[in-house]
Amino acid sequence: MLDNTPSPFADNVSPAPAASSGCSGGSGASMAASATTRSTTPFPIRIADPDALVTLNTQTRARMPGTQWKSLEEYESDPEFLARVQKEFAPGAEWWIDQASRREFLKTMGASLALAGLTGCTIRQPVEKIIPYVQIPENMIPGKAQFYATAMPLPGGAIGLLAESHEGRPTKIEGNPDHPTSLGATCTFSQASVLGLYDPHRLQVVHHHNRPAVWSEFTGALEGRLTLAQKNQGAGFALLTEEIISPTLQRQLRAFLQANPQAKWYQYAAWESSNATQAARQVFGAPVTARYHLPNADIIFSVGADFLAEGPSHVRLVREFSARRIVNADATANMNRLYVAETTPSQTGAKADHWLRLKPDDVAAMLIAVAAELGLDVGGEARTAKVKEAHQNWITALAGDLKAARGKSVVIVGAHMPSEIHALAHLVNQELGNIGQTVTLVDPINVVPDQTPGTISDLTQAMEAGQVQSLVILGGDPAFTAPANLKFGEKLKSVPFTAYYALQVDSTAQLVQWRLPATHYLEDWSDARAEDGSVSIIQPLIRPLYDGRSVHELLAILSGQKDVTGFNLVQETWLPGFGNDAKKLWEKALHDGVIANSAFQPATPAVKGEAAAALKQAFAEAPAESKEFTVVFRTDPSLLDGRYATNGWLQELPQPLSKLTWGNAAWIGYSTAKDLGLKSGDHINIQRGDVTVSIPVWIQFGQPSQVITLQMGHGRTVEGFKTVGVDVYPLRSAANEWVTTAQVKPTGKRTVLVTTQPHHNMEGRHLVRSGTLKEFQDKPNKPGFMTVGLHHGGGDEHEGGEHGAAEHGTEGHGAEQGGHAHDAAHGHEAVASKRDVTPHHGHPAVIPEGENQNPHYPEGGPTFYEDWPRVGNQWGMTINLGACTGCNACVVACQSENNIPVVGPEQVIRGREMHWLRIDSYFEGDPDTPDVYHQPVSCMHCEHAPCEPVCPVGATTHSSEGINEMTYNRCIGTRYCSNNCPYKVRRFNFLALNDPVWQLPVLQMAQNPNVTVRSRGVMEKCNYCVQRISAVRIQSKMENREIRDGEIRTACQSACSAGAITFGNVDDPDSAVRKAKEHPLNYGLLTDLNTRPRTSYLAAVRNPNPALVSTAAEDHA
Amino acid sequence: MNTIARVGIFGAIFLVTGLFSAAWGWVRSPYMTEVRVVKPQPVPFSHAHHVGDIGIDCRYCHTSVEREAFAGMPATEVCMNCHSQLFSDSAMLAPVRESYRDGKPLQWTRVHDAPDYVFFHHGIHVSKGVACERCHGRVDKMPLMWRENTLHMSWCLECHWNPGDNVRPPSDVFVMGWKPGPGTPSQSELVAAGHIRSQTNCSVCHR
Repeated sequence: MLDNTPSPFADNVSPAPAASSGCSGGSGASMAASATTRSTTPFPIRIADPDALVTLNTQTRARMPGTQWKSLEEYESDPEFLARVQKEFAPGAEWWIDQASRREFLKTMGASLALAGLTGCTIRQPVEKIIPYVQIPENMIPGKAQFYATAMPLPGGAIGLLAESHEGRPTKIEGNPDHPTSLGATCTFSQASVLGLYDPHRLQVVHHHNRPAVWSEFTGALEGRLTLAQKNQGAGFALLTEEIISPTLQRQLRAFLQANPQAKWYQYAAWESSNATQAARQVFGAPVTARYHLPNADIIFSVGADFLAEGPSHVRLVREFSARRIVNADATANMNRLYVAETTPSQTGAKADHWLRLKPDDVAAMLIAVAAELGLDVGGEARTAKVKEAHQNWITALAGDLKAARGKSVVIVGAHMPSEIHALAHLVNQELGNIGQTVTLVDPINVVPDQTPGTISDLTQAMEAGQVQSLVILGGDPAFTAPANLKFGEKLKSVPFTAYYALQVDSTAQLVQWRLPATHYLEDWSDARAEDGSVSIIQPLIRPLYDGRSVHELLAILSGQKDVTGFNLVQETWLPGFGNDAKKLWEKALHDGVIANSAFQPATPAVKGEAAAALKQAFAEAPAESKEFTVVFRTDPSLLDGRYATNGWLQELPQPLSKLTWGNAAWIGYSTAKDLGLKSGDHINIQRGDVTVSIPVWIQFGQPSQVITLQMGHGRTVEGFKTVGVDVYPLRSAANEWVTTAQVKPTGKRTVLVTTQPHHNMEGRHLVRSGTLKEFQDKPNKPGFMTVGLHHGGGDEHEGGEHGAAEHGTEGHGAEQGGHAHDAAHGHEAVASKRDVTPHHGHPAVIPEGENQNPHYPEGGPTFYEDWPRVGNQWGMTINLGACTGCNACVVACQSENNIPVVGPEQVIRGREMHWLRIDSYFEGDPDTPDVYHQPVSCMHCEHAPCEPVCPVGATTHSSEGINEMTYNRCIGTRYCSNNCPYKVRRFNFLALNDPVWQLPVLQMAQNPNVTVRSRGVMEKCNYCVQRISAVRIQSKMENREIRDGEIRTACQSACSAGAITFGNVDDPDSAVRKAKEHPLNYGLLTDLNTRPRTSYLAAVRNPNPALVSTAAEDHA
Repeated sequence: MNTIARVGIFGAIFLVTGLFSAAWGWVRSPYMTEVRVVKPQPVPFSHAHHVGDIGIDCRYCHTSVEREAFAGMPATEVCMNCHSQLFSDSAMLAPVRESYRDGKPLQWTRVHDAPDYVFFHHGIHVSKGVACERCHGRVDKMPLMWRENTLHMSWCLECHWNPGDNVRPPSDVFVMGWKPGPGTPSQSELVAAGHIRSQTNCSVCHR
């Protein structure tokens, strides 16, 4: 989103840009294929013949079975998009068009350019120093990484991690295999947290009235206030915190509140919802938390729960879920079945076997209807009438599945669903005998014993009433995230003494007197509970970079304790409980990353008898229908509630499904947008009461009609950081935190959205293969869906004609692939067997002489590529599309491991994002209810790599182990290699994107020393983490042994919670990757080009309910 | 005019050849490669004395050379192991004592410095039998440290193409002035025993 960037191309309102670029005769007349051609790019594109482009695209798409598409522009054959993707690099790619940023760049670079000139005078290698320690720490070997176990506190529970440290500074995060919520994997937030530590925007020193101060000044002032308050047992003193999951902090807070009984504690977190806790009280009489266990869950029903992407247990749940999606090579499987009814299309929905996208009320109604079908007497006939009419088959099938899977099913409700729905889900799980099996109940982890916090509404009222004299806020940026109707920021100004403890100078920090620099979790001692109650000791990887203190030290100051460190405080919490073996257990806890046996035992409260009756009453009335739009709020998948706004890795991460970066947009459905005449990027005014927010729309396939989804957290102000995105918090009120209604009107204003989706065109290629388990089991050797689309080209007339969208039915997932019906009917099977003489599957990556995957050359594909010697292990990779949820953890992990720069929104628009690994999202079916697939794509390491022979200087070569190497120091930047790459996985450094690293020493600390930091003018790409391969190879050679399978884990493989990525030696018949490549579902991308990629994919297999297959148009909202 | 033109063209060939030769020679000259050029150091540390005269093993200071990429530079406390008692008042060693006292490390000038885009691993070379003196020269005869070899890629490749010529039994790697004796295994035996398979793929060193 660029509406505050003074770019000459930011606002394009009319179709004029196409005409003004000199395109003759095209733009006005040939708008037939797409509604409008409002520019989606900020630079002019010359379209010579739009009609030809559109026709070609329509034809190529028609050849593809299943009508898959990637972006809206591709779906609608937008001529500007088609013209743009014809070129490898965006027009003007070599120029730095944006005036303002060029001026800025030259300003900041001016100094360093001058200096660079001077040092350039010495042609010899510059003199470098080698600086040893004075006293070397034990076990420290410069150059050798050390791993320390720690944990990152996240909403709802911590995730256990191993932090890789080089010379005393953390550079990379890995999962902790011994920790129950990590199981060796990580999420995007934990991967990106390293950059958060080294964030240049961090608050470094104490501020008093906006001028730098020191802690002792604050301590002095605080003492004065405390003494005053303690005259009345602490009256007038208030503390506002977020969720507290640290046992040490809980202990400290309890002690403080007991010492000052009149002091008040308030708790607020933007992402939090009390609905689940309320429901638990209602049903069980205790505020227990539900935990889900999926290994034994055959049927999973998600009611608005994005459990595979959100929440403290999602890493574990993805692992458990993926384990039940494995399909063996002989087509046997123990697959689960996932039903999802939700509002906003999510990553969980994309993996569903049956997926409904409905308005929030209807989602709730689905659960009521299913519960009724299961025999629960909860009424709600008025509420469920509509969904029963539209989706009775779905409800019956699901209820049937649930009944057949008693004790082996689970109903999961999204955190933000109303409490009655949570309560109903408990009753349903109880009825199905799931509680104790797939659902367990534990005590909440965020409780401070004997203390109940007030809400932020309470606090605001108290501030208004003048009851708060001193307020200390521990993080959270409440002025930004608090429900807008409370006007928290204004009331804050009236409190006499305010202190804000945070990592950055954000909008809350602007309103307080004292700003206290916080420490990052990687630099302090603390502890945290995971969602199951397990405690991890958080140990620092580095001394605090700035003058920060840990939150425990701050609480100690509040409690009047002097000269205690966080270390002492955390030890105080745990050593007494460890008994005689205290030291040994302490060190074991630090080593393992989790304190043994600290998980909570499951609670077994009984369901209260009156719960069902209460629900029946709650469901008696149907909610009022509104003519307005429904507005749904979600935490942002990258920024959460806004806390990661300054984290470049997360801002630039293309979000799942929309691939938006650097800003947000209002998600709107395809048909709704058509009705309103909107294109992606057009602004709408969302008005609720007296609040109006102007925000661009994003047309998201699958978004239900008349529903807008807003991601929170954008538009946050942090000093020194240019705000991106639109702040949607003003639309949230305390009463309607997650769902509200509003009026929506187009405004005519337009902004270019920064999304990576239209950077490539599928061009009719069958990139994602998917099918159902039944199809696979019907033909275990060669399932039809594996070869459909391979015999394209050559002008098959009937092929083109029959593959229109209508023929495939608009069924969600349950329908048999339309392609197969056609295949059987039109004899494609015969065609396949005639041309397709070599098997496409069961085919190791090392291709013996004579075999090939090109159906046009059965005798062996002609090639002018030389054979290169194969010596040693032959590296290869497979990615299981059935497991991948598109969560982006692998993308951030790759960025962290390989020193990949952040480029900023202007460059992403030009297609210059530098991610070596990208996740492509593909849609299939009907634009309002499509299936979604995610496909991670990185360098394929082709055995016949088209990029290698064309390098004039030999900068990209093939190693004897099968890796396509990239030697940065040889590269002169002709970009011919990228030109030749059919997968477009090569990224070119058009600009010196790593200059911030040279300028800011703190960013230098974040770089991985084992990987070169690239400068301007060189090409880069995935190299299978060759630094990791080298390290293990050297180690194995020194020990005179073979490399064990699984010993080398690439960064992406290591981060993946689904275990979708397998890497190893394809020559080893026992290796996991070899077995995956021999799987019938294995296929390569664009193998008919004879590139012989070493990275291949396992087709996605779904497990739909046979009862739902035959009905067409089932999933329409 | 014709004469000038002809002489000019004829001479240009020599000129161009001369320029190229000069450039070729320049790049390989000690000025550019800094072979045998002594660089200033904070303390005039003498390997000839410590290794040659006293016989301290390389690994006493360069501790991680057998297993890790970086050979290891001795921390000030390693120097002080001896020099807290020997020559403890010497003016020449004042910077060492100051470093230990103040906690400020000594800033040595790097002599063997491969460019940043080269990732060299000491451990694999040492453990396979590449001797210290093979690359660093007769360190026990250097009163001040200098670079014995150019460290150019062509020089590395000479050995990588023919490792057998350049290895010795791993137990003799730290010996200065070693000569093969009657009991020394042959080159092919060394290569076989060490499972030596030297790699010349680009990504082995450049990543």
